[in-house]
This record gives sequence, C-alpha cells and structure tokens, in this order.
Amino acid sequence: MADPVSTMPLRTGGVSAWKAPVAIGVAALVVLAVCSVTLPTFLVNNLIRAFLYAAVALTVDLLWGYTGILTFGQSAFFGIGAYAAGLIFTHAGFSLPLAVGALAAGLGAAWIVSRMVGWLAFYHGASPLYASVVTLVLPIVLVQGIYSGGEFTGSSSGLSGFDSIDIPLEAWFFVAGAFLVGLAVTAWLFVRSDAGRLMVAIRENEARCEYLGINVSRYKARLMDACAVIAAFAGFLFACVQMVVAPEYAGFVFGTELVIWVALGGRGSLIGPIIGAMSIDVGSAYLSGNLPYVWTLLVGVAFVVVIVAMPRGLAPLVAGVARQAMPRRRRIAPAPVTFVAAQQRAGGFADNTRPALSLRNVQKHFGSLRVLDDISFDARAGELLSLIGPNGAGKSTLMRCIADGAERSAGTVEIGGTEIRTLAPYDCVALGVGRKFQTATVFESLSVAEALRIARYRVAPPSKWERDSTLELPQPALDVLRLTGLDRIPERECRYLSHGQKQALELAMVLALEPRTVLLDEPTAGLTKQERTQIGEIFVELSSRYRMCLLLVEHDLDFVQQISSRIVVLHQGRIVMDGSVEEVVHSDLVRAVYAGDAHAAANQPEEEA
Amino acid sequence: MLNLGLDVVTTAAILFIVSAGLLMVFGVMKIINFSHGAFLTIGGYATVIVAHAGLNWWWGVPCALAIGFVSGMAVERFIVRPLYARPLDAILATWGLGIIVGQIITLIFGRGVQMVASPVDGAISLLGTQYSAYRLILVGVALLIALALGWLLNGTRLGLQTRAVIMNEALARGLGISSSRVRFMTFCTGAALASAAGCLITPLASVDPNMGVPWIVGAFMLVLVSGSSLVSLAVASVVLGGAQVLVSTFINPVLGGLTIAVLAALLLRIRPEGFARG
Repeated sequence: MADPVSTMPLRTGGVSAWKAPVAIGVAALVVLAVCSVTLPTFLVNNLIRAFLYAAVALTVDLLWGYTGILTFGQSAFFGIGAYAAGLIFTHAGFSLPLAVGALAAGLGAAWIVSRMVGWLAFYHGASPLYASVVTLVLPIVLVQGIYSGGEFTGSSSGLSGFDSIDIPLEAWFFVAGAFLVGLAVTAWLFVRSDAGRLMVAIRENEARCEYLGINVSRYKARLMDACAVIAAFAGFLFACVQMVVAPEYAGFVFGTELVIWVALGGRGSLIGPIIGAMSIDVGSAYLSGNLPYVWTLLVGVAFVVVIVAMPRGLAPLVAGVARQAMPRRRRIAPAPVTFVAAQQRAGGFADNTRPALSLRNVQKHFGSLRVLDDISFDARAGELLSLIGPNGAGKSTLMRCIADGAERSAGTVEIGGTEIRTLAPYDCVALGVGRKFQTATVFESLSVAEALRIARYRVAPPSKWERDSTLELPQPALDVLRLTGLDRIPERECRYLSHGQKQALELAMVLALEPRTVLLDEPTAGLTKQERTQIGEIFVELSSRYRMCLLLVEHDLDFVQQISSRIVVLHQGRIVMDGSVEEVVHSDLVRAVYAGDAHAAANQPEEEA
Repeated sequence: MLNLGLDVVTTAAILFIVSAGLLMVFGVMKIINFSHGAFLTIGGYATVIVAHAGLNWWWGVPCALAIGFVSGMAVERFIVRPLYARPLDAILATWGLGIIVGQIITLIFGRGVQMVASPVDGAISLLGTQYSAYRLILVGVALLIALALGWLLNGTRLGLQTRAVIMNEALARGLGISSSRVRFMTFCTGAALASAAGCLITPLASVDPNMGVPWIVGAFMLVLVSGSSLVSLAVASVVLGGAQVLVSTFINPVLGGLTIAVLAALLLRIRPEGFARG
C-alpha cells in the first residue's frame, strides 16, 4: 500500500523493551481498579462495552494500520464469539463447564472461518482490494445466516434473556479493562520487536518482502487468525456482560465503524485506535440521545476530513501538542545496532559440479506477442554474466522468469540443480536466488538496520518480543555496507538515504539472503561515475572471491566490458550471441543490433560460443 | 418458465443500471466509489422533491441526473482528487461521505420511508403471461444507457481521451490529454448515472435515507468482476443476476441475496480478471 503512513509514535527502542510497556500496563490496571469503584454506574457500563470494542479496534489497527490489510470483517469474528456464548447459554443453559465450552467453540469457529478467509484473500499475486472485498463479504454472509436461523439464532432481533456468569458490574469492568490492557501491552511489545517490523515492511513493499524469501500471504493469514481469535474473545466477553446478542454486532456496518474509530484515533499507533474507539463509543452513549443525527453526522465529517487531510489520524497531532506542552524530557537514545559477521552456513557458496543456473527453452508470451523465445543457457558459480540488448529485448522479463516460477510460459529453469516449476518468489529465494529490482526498492519508513533484519528474516527468524542490538550479516553484505558507509548509519530511515545509498542497501539486503545466484537488474542506473566504479568492484569481488553467480542486466557497454566474464546478447526475445567479452565487443552483429539494424541482426544465424 | 426468464432479464437490467456509474468511475480512476450508494439515495429523493413540486414522476430522471452531476463535481474536487494515489483510503472516504449524506437527508426529510407514486402501474401481457410493465421498461432503459455510454466512449472526443486514460494513463498524459479533466468528467458522469439509477429504482424499492446501502455491495462486486468494460458488465449482470434469480426462486431468497457477493468473490479468487478479457 502506498499510503504515506510513517512510523509509529510508540517507537522508543533500546534493549530494555519490556520495562516501559509492563510498567504502563501495571499502572493502567491500578487505575482500572480505582475507577471500578469510583465511577458512576452508567459510565462503568458504557466503559465495559467501550473496552471490548477498543480491543477489536486494536486488531483492526494491527491488520490495517500496521500491515495494510483494510478489513471490514473483524465485526464478524466479534459476532462469532458473541453468538457462541448466546446460542449455548440460550439453548443448553448456563454452567461454568458450558461457558468454557462456549468460549472454546467461539474461538475455534473464529479460527476456522479466519482460515477460510485467509485462503480466499491471501495468495501470491492477490490485490489488496480483493482482500478487502473478502472481508466485506464475510460479515454480510454471516448476518444473512443469522437472519435465516429463525428461532435458533433469534433472527433479526437476536438472543437475550439468557443466564451468564454472575459477577458484579465492577468486576466485569475490571475483567474487560484488564483484557484490553493485557492485549495492548502484548501488541505493543510485538509491534516494537524485530519480528513486528515485518508488518510495516509488508505494508510498505510487499513485493520486496516476497523477494526476500518471506511468504507474505502466510504471514498475513496467520496475523488474521490471531486477530480473529482475539476479536472472538472480545465478543464472548461482550455476550457474557450484556446478556444480549444481535446481528448488528456481526454486521458490515459495525465492521466499518471499527475502521472509522481506528482512522480517527490514528492508524498504526495502537493507542490512537483505543482512544478513538472508547471516546466515540462513550461519546455516542451520552450525545446521541441529545443530538440524534447530528452526532453521527459529525463523526462522518470528522472521518472524511481525517482520511483526506490527516491520514495518520489524530494520535500524532495530540502527541505533538503534548510533546510541546510538556517539559522536554531527554529521550533515551536507542542503542545503535552493530553489524557482525555471520557464520558461513554449511554447504558454502561454491558447488562447481552443477551449473548455478540452467535455462532450457524458456518462453514467455502475452497472447500472441512473444517476449522471450527459446532461451537456453547455463551459468556457473563464479561467473559474472551480463545480459545486454536494446530496450524491449526481454532482459527484465527473463530476470522475472528466473526469480518467479509462475512467470514463464514454457521451458524449464533450474537453480542449483533444482527445477523451479511454478514456485513463488519466496520459494525461489530458498533455492538460492536473490533478485535486486531495477529501481531501488527499500522500506521507506524502516531504518537501515531494520531493513537488513527483514532480509535476514528467512535465515535467522528474529525475536517476537525484543529488539536485538546486534545483527549478523554474511561477509559480502557487510563489505557492501562498509564500502558505502551504510554501516555507520544503521538507525537512519531509508527515506532519507540518497539514491546511491538506497541501491547499495538493496544490494546488501539481497546479499543478506546468502544467495548463490544474484540477479541484478540495472544496478548502476542513476549512480554517479564514482559509485559505479565502486559497485563494479563489489560485483567482481562477489563472483571471484565468494564464488557467486551474478546475472547482470546493463546498458552501459563500457561498464559491462570491464567487469563481465561472459556476455549474452538478447534481441527481440532471442539469444543472438553468447560468448566472451572479447568476442561480443568486437562482433559486427552486436554493433548492428545496437545501431538499430534489427532486421539484419535477427536474420543472422546464432553465433554460439 | 417464461416468467423466470423475464425475471432474469429484468434483474440483469436493474443491476446494469445500478452498476453502470460505478463501473465508469472504477474503469477510469481505479478507485471504488463507495458513495455510489449515497448518490443512489440522492436520486431516490429527487423523485420525492419532484412529487412535492407536483410534477410528473418522469421529471425525476433529469432532475436526478442534474443533482447527481453537480454534487459529483464537489465530491470529486474535495474528496476523491486528493486520494487518487491512495485507493484504499478513497474507499473509506467515500464510505464516510455516504454516512454524511445519509444523515443530512435524515435531518431534512426524517428517517421514515417516503411514499412515491409509480410512473407506470400494472402488468402487461407478453407472450401469454402477465408481467410488471415497469420492470420491462427498465430493460429498455438499460439498453438506452448502454448505447448512450457506448456512444460517449466511442463517438466523442472526450470518450476517446477517456479510453486512452483507461488503457495507459501515463502515455495519455504524455500525449497532452488532461487526465485530471477526464477523471473529473468521469466522476461527475458516474455520479449522475448513479443518481438517475436511484430515481429509476424507486418504484421497486422504498425511499429512505439508507436505500442505497443494500445496492452498493452487489454493484461493487459486479464492477470488480467486470473490470472496465461495459460489455463485461452486461455479461456479469446477466450471469450473476440470473444466478441470483435462480437461487432465490429454487432454494431460498436469503441465499439469493448472497449469491452475487459469494459467487463474485469465488470467481475473483479463481480468475482475478473476472469476466473481463485478459
């Protein structure tokens, strides 16, 4: 998603990640205990509901604010939890074992439904709009199901008058509040952790994540499962407290209200959605009686204004004012991440018995248009193979066909002796292919160190609750960082890097995958002469010293001539020449191709080396 | 049997009328206009205004077109244009606009259902069966809208520019086409069409502040499976509308109401381009 939502205000960093959240959580629990006996009953009653709504809003924030999955379906999971309690207590009566059973049934049902939604909504290549559509259809289907349940589900009027856990309102207030506090603290620890940064990385650049070997669809589906279970738990508590369930609580309109609360409070901030949900819900309880339609109108106007003019919601605004007003506190600077060399994995880089990369009769066509026709070549470890050819020759398409099994129309691609069949990009990464995109693609709001840690996600899964102050990287990646000076600015956000630094960072991210074959699509585009020389030296080093196989797409013939060990010339989707640098550079054919004498060139027989 | 066939055809026609404006906007701007429902509602209330003024029901149609076009201008300028690069946010903002419109209408007209006289009463006999005259008229209206839009897109200069923007916006801009003007005109036309559709469905549905909401999801799903082509929309309306009629008739109406949404979601999972070619 391209929304300009930047980093969370909750980031402080540091190693003692547990301290602040746990301390604030304990403080919140104390406040809750005090409030439960001092607040008027009407407010207590409203706050219980607001706490549970805020918990669901928090899951919307995790899904939408952090990860970029716009969901209208969290209400459905809330409804599932609520109806599990309502149905069992109405038809089987209330007892403690039955309550436990109802809870288990509610969470289980939510989990199963979420798995189905995940299967539908998240697959390689799915558009974000489609995922939203699926979450939109879910509550609609569920509500229609409730309507057609007749007496059993209470149809449109819902179920009420069932027995429930008999504890005083003050106790419910504390239970619901503690649930919200516990959830918020857990979510806070998670989003600040090294693993939690992946959510932001997915929101900012899903494709880059996939080409870093991360199965984004599975991650999203797991996240939705967790959020579904949490929402169902909130729904279960809701039914127990209110002793009433109705289709509206599962409906699509409630689903959109959740999104409105999150947007107003401030997406991607955790605290914003909690405050947004609670203040609007409690506000409605007091104001919608006096100003029946005007209140909803005001919320609607505020929502539109916030979406259009303040995409990050009111939280950053409030935080900014608070920071101005409060005496300046010295922020504890986060301990900078230090990069250390990782142990080389078993197997090493060089396996000379088989070609690192082997293409046989690869074809790609869009309808009747042949973009690639019968491409076959091998590339070995230690080779620096350059692909050259005029614009539209199919170079970038060929790169895609190697890094994504679903791309090519026919032929086989083998990576290190394994055929890629129709494997998705993240599986191709596991086979040892790293791909650098044509335009530098990094995660704008992550820091250099965070971006590199995302790149190590597959090799060394990071902690879900803490931030590590060291990051192990393979030597080639470290070399790139050192040469370009990026190792001195690990905390700088990627958006502030120069173009050349972004290119270098992306290269380091690809090398952090410990690939055996590296695909580089115009890696020097837009670089200065000096940067270009520097990066050329790095490439030579990668192939000669680390025995990687590099496949390079380039336009600059001089540059290619200096660094390549072999050159393949593509023209109109075919290989017209494959040979050493000398052969290619002095070939009339290549001169003809570049001079635009395409017809003559295409008709010449292949000059295989 | 013939009745069932007529049900399919007229349902498809109604779906086409209701979705055409949304398709225009989605095709050109690649955003989902969730205030489509609000424009339907506005169109519905245009008939109420016309009735209050003592005019013939049919005056509602041009009146709705005009109101829809003018309010579309304001919405495009202040809400849609800033969100052009944020398609998911555009869904939300236009949904919020729907809430605002619903509340404003409630404040002016009250939340109750408005009674509007139907322009054509009764049934006519067709091939030996009695069928609602108004539903049959809507088939003609749907054809008229299809022809008019087809002419707009293929017979006018603006239409040529619009098609260029649909195919390749960057290139179109490079050729000197003002894509922001094309977007503006498209949105206004879409809003006007939605409003007219809201007016046209009043004899079939009730007029109330939320009358547009039940239609949005169906229209939205139809547009998603149709891409940016009117022909695909017609096919999708017939296939999915037909499925809805069949399920409602032979299984039950509740499931029938879900048919379009569920089938479209599954279809998109299997074939992301839906009914559109390629």
